[in-house]
Amino acid sequence: MTNNQEDISLQSLRQGSDLVLQKIYEDNRDKFINFARRYNLDNDDIIDVYQDAYIVFYNNVMSGKIEKFTSSISTYLFSIGKYLIFDKMKKNNKKVSGNFDLSLVKDQDDLVDTLEVEAKGLTHEQQLLRQHFSGLGNKCKELLSLFYYRGFTIKDILEKGDYNSENVIKSTKSRCMKTLKERINSNSL
Amino acid sequence: MNKDELLYLYFSNSLTKSQEQQFKELLDNDAEFKAQFDFENNLKQVIKAEKSDALKDKLKGFEMDLSKTEDKSWFNWRIAASIVLLLGASWFGYESLFGLDYNSLYDDNYTNYPNTVYTITRSDENNSLQREAFVAYETGDFKLALEKFKSIKEEEPYFNFYKAQSYLGLDNLDEAKALFEKELLSDSQFKAEALWYLALINLKQKNKTEATGHLKDLITSHNYKKEEAKTLLNALN
Repeated sequence: MTNNQEDISLQSLRQGSDLVLQKIYEDNRDKFINFARRYNLDNDDIIDVYQDAYIVFYNNVMSGKIEKFTSSISTYLFSIGKYLIFDKMKKNNKKVSGNFDLSLVKDQDDLVDTLEVEAKGLTHEQQLLRQHFSGLGNKCKELLSLFYYRGFTIKDILEKGDYNSENVIKSTKSRCMKTLKERINSNSL
Repeated sequence: MNKDELLYLYFSNSLTKSQEQQFKELLDNDAEFKAQFDFENNLKQVIKAEKSDALKDKLKGFEMDLSKTEDKSWFNWRIAASIVLLLGASWFGYESLFGLDYNSLYDDNYTNYPNTVYTITRSDENNSLQREAFVAYETGDFKLALEKFKSIKEEEPYFNFYKAQSYLGLDNLDEAKALFEKELLSDSQFKAEALWYLALINLKQKNKTEATGHLKDLITSHNYKKEEAKTLLNALN
């Protein structure tokens, strides 16, 4: 795939195309499995890491961290995958060969440095917030996702066409945030 | 520049260098600003986790599609083998279940799931039906809760799970089972919980094979009730 084609894929991904999502997943899967075999992982673990690497890649595309591809998609997936494999091994107290240090791997990989690759779970506070976020209406969830997951500006949201004016977007957002805070304050589960 | 504006620019990745400086200073010196930043940043992580979990489910689906294609040539063999296994398992299941007290295993493990999705406050006028549904649910009036849930036109994604809970509360196992099974096929946040309750229902209905299958799925893929599921699985074996 040329870079031009990959940029088109990037746009389609951003627009939410499931077909492109699946195609990129399938196109890179076998290459990734071959690449990851060298780390002595069993097949289920490799697929698991591949999926997690794919999620990190996707999140970075959606949040605008990856604006334009500077490498092929498979290079992104390999770099993230390598980072996750070392992280997994570190957690399992397994050594690959010699003394591999996760931070060392991360330093070596410039590509990963430009991305958000944290793989920690949610804190207790965040879990609580998640429960209350899930309980919000769909309109609020979508709007807050545009602001915080996609990193959209008010203008970007206006261009999507679901709202009539910037003021409506601002007031809807503040109402959603107010509801969320009230629910958290009145119920600390 | 006002503080809200700075936070907004931060989360839309559009701070200029000088605004970034101002942002850092506020973060270090203004506790209220820091608290607001933490809240919004937590929200960002939460939304990312929601999106990631939904995507993981989707990718698992792609993987299943792929393995179906790869295994096509073995299809007939697999069916034949499954039938043999199923027959064996049912016979074995019947034999080894003899003497097990399913009802007491069910009773020992069943409690209805708490309301974790809807906060009942006095000021909830907009959602009064939903409020009534959850008030009924929390007070154990499952019949009324079901009536209210059914009468709400705008369905929330978590309604299905709480309807299933209400049916279970009324001992209507078949209706509850159908709804919990629907949970497993959706993007629900309650998949692990649905597996647990499906295992319990199957236990009560004396379907040992299904109960065991659900418990194993729960143990391998989730953390919810993991220890209880292991104990129950041991009791069944």
